[in-house]
Amino acid sequence: MKENKEVSRRDFMKLAISAIGGVIGMAYAIPAIGYIVGPALKKDQGQGWIRLGSTGKVETSIPTLFKVKIQRQTGWITTEEEVSVYVLTENVRDYIAMSNVCTHLGCRIRWITEQNKFFCPCHNGIFDKEGNVVSGPPPRPLDRYKVKVENDQLFILGG
Amino acid sequence: MGIKLADWLDERVGWREVWRAIFLRNIPKVNWFYTLGSATLFLALNQAITGILLTVYYVPTPDHAYDSVQYITTQVTAGWLIRGLHHWGASAMVVVVVLHMLRVIFYGAYKFPREVTWMTGVVLLLVVIGFGFTGYLLPWDQKAFWATTVGTRIVGTPPIIGDYLLRILRGGTDLSAVTLARFYGAHIWALPATLALLIGVHLYLVIKIGISAVPKKGE
Repeated sequence: MKENKEVSRRDFMKLAISAIGGVIGMAYAIPAIGYIVGPALKKDQGQGWIRLGSTGKVETSIPTLFKVKIQRQTGWITTEEEVSVYVLTENVRDYIAMSNVCTHLGCRIRWITEQNKFFCPCHNGIFDKEGNVVSGPPPRPLDRYKVKVENDQLFILGG
Repeated sequence: MGIKLADWLDERVGWREVWRAIFLRNIPKVNWFYTLGSATLFLALNQAITGILLTVYYVPTPDHAYDSVQYITTQVTAGWLIRGLHHWGASAMVVVVVLHMLRVIFYGAYKFPREVTWMTGVVLLLVVIGFGFTGYLLPWDQKAFWATTVGTRIVGTPPIIGDYLLRILRGGTDLSAVTLARFYGAHIWALPATLALLIGVHLYLVIKIGISAVPKKGE
């Protein structure tokens, strides 16, 4: 401190204490932020290919509901979840698999054969059999899964 | 700008007076043993911060306690650090609190006019031990379970009422979900509230009366 005589002992201590306090504060704050945000940044591992069932169950031109149970790891708990998928085929060769989750606010949609439409019970979202929005608030068509067929078994790629 | 804001606030709430009373008060020439109280306060803050963070993931039921602790330690970012700080901080707390008490005894600092400071300190020591005892059960591993089984037995020793006391402490005849839940409740609500209140009184008295000087020979 020789070159700068204006720094008093008291000022130096003030500065030193603030600096040390700041370092200690950061040593708590940085891990704390990581600790709280951490699980949200973890990527979902994905489910890989999920077997829905036999292609024979799919009625031509009518979306057919498949329900499969999947295991999902959330925190320290492994939960069993049911995934519902509507599968549609027009030519018994090409299949499309649609999520039953409404693209508006996430309610579960239902296929009504008499009306030839999907209906969402929450806010009257209506989709046609290929999942395109017919009317109501949904912002985009129903989400689709990648599909593959092996030995007459339908598989979807789970997210 | 900062100074202006500080002045504005001081004019309205008078914080500078409080600041002076706490940080710029006069103290006698003392030694390093006099820092043990501050060290305890720092550790208590550490326990509070890390303890609050642990409650973000910890779940106090027999189904989830052990798994959630493992999850914190092995999966969560810096979870090992937060839990480690809480675990080792707890041990350090007991050690430093006892050293602090010994200093007060050896320097005779408990005497007039500081008796009330001493008495709140004694209760604070008991609260810290309560923290240690209840916190030890929470990981719900073998060590926690059996240590608490043995530890709670102590209240069962008085004649006639012993059995009732033991049942009340455990919330039943044996250690169970009820025991875990009530130990957790005590650990994160009842004890911290008591601790905060008593620290408030303790520190108020330390500041109000001032700390004792190192006794001179023949005193």
